[in-house]
Amino acid sequence: MTDPAEELAQQVTERVVDLVVSALDINELVARIDLNALLSRIDLDALLAHADLNALLARVDVNVLVNQVDLNAVLARVDVNALLDQVDVNDLVSRVDIEALVQNTDLGAVIATSTGGVATEVLDAARSQAVGLDQLVDRWVKRLLRRKETGPGVPPALLPPPVTSVEVAP
Amino acid sequence: MSASASPADMVSYQSHYAGAVSRFVAYAIDVAVATAAFVLGLAGASYAVQILTGHKVSWNRSDVAVAVVFALWQFLYFAYSWAVSGRTPGMALMGIRVVRADGMTLDPLHAVLRALVFPLNFLLLGLPFLVILVQRERRGVADLIAGSAVIYSWDARTARLRFLARQAELTVGEGAPPAPADPGARAAG
Repeated sequence: MTDPAEELAQQVTERVVDLVVSALDINELVARIDLNALLSRIDLDALLAHADLNALLARVDVNVLVNQVDLNAVLARVDVNALLDQVDVNDLVSRVDIEALVQNTDLGAVIATSTGGVATEVLDAARSQAVGLDQLVDRWVKRLLRRKETGPGVPPALLPPPVTSVEVAP
Repeated sequence: MSASASPADMVSYQSHYAGAVSRFVAYAIDVAVATAAFVLGLAGASYAVQILTGHKVSWNRSDVAVAVVFALWQFLYFAYSWAVSGRTPGMALMGIRVVRADGMTLDPLHAVLRALVFPLNFLLLGLPFLVILVQRERRGVADLIAGSAVIYSWDARTARLRFLARQAELTVGEGAPPAPADPGARAAG
């Protein structure tokens, strides 16, 4: 059985709290609080050290999260042209090993059937042989003339552009 | 010594000064093409004259007029080809091109000048051709006078891809047969 005095005290307390709360101007109270000072006293590192983020993330259902994202709307906001402007396509292509691609994929068969032909093959071989003979004659002439140094191999305007070194920030 | 380079010595010769053999073969093809075209032209002219006048016309090789027209035709053949594209049909077949000494495109004026001084090679008994062998930039007398040079300009990279494609196709279809000479290996740019 409950003590009548305790019950009375409980009712009085509840009533007082109600009166105090209704009398309080929460907005004014919040306005008086210096949130910056309050936040500066909080050690976020220590707080985060206590939080088990892995456990927290394990509870997050990413699939549900992703399902709620309207990817079409997101993509509609992406400026693809601006994105592509930042991509160095030439650099990208230069990284592709075309020869390996031709040798290891069906691309080789496609090239062979589309550009091949007896005439092309003969022409390639004839040119290649001529270049080989050019080099052979050149070597013999150099030997006869006892010439060791080689002359300029390419006209100045056709020289490949110099490779610029790229500094990588540490 | 072999005329073929090993795959390990695959050096890019694209845009390099063309050697004497390529140039001579191209010139031989041009002489054959130009002469054949001239003979066909003469035959056509004879036929036309015969149709129009009823008289049969025969051309003599020692005829001065024929020699002059032939020389003029040769000049036009080379000058026009060099002025328009920097290459004659023979040069196109051998994958070489005439450019200015600095590598820029040959302009019509220098193309005509080169065609004008080209006969010096024959007038001096072929000695100017030998200059190509010893000159460091492989330029002949006509090149030195006209301020031109001859370079390799065939698409060797594509030729090499064609070679690799054929190899890949053969490997898939019939196993691995012995590999023929790699055409683009020497001149791949």
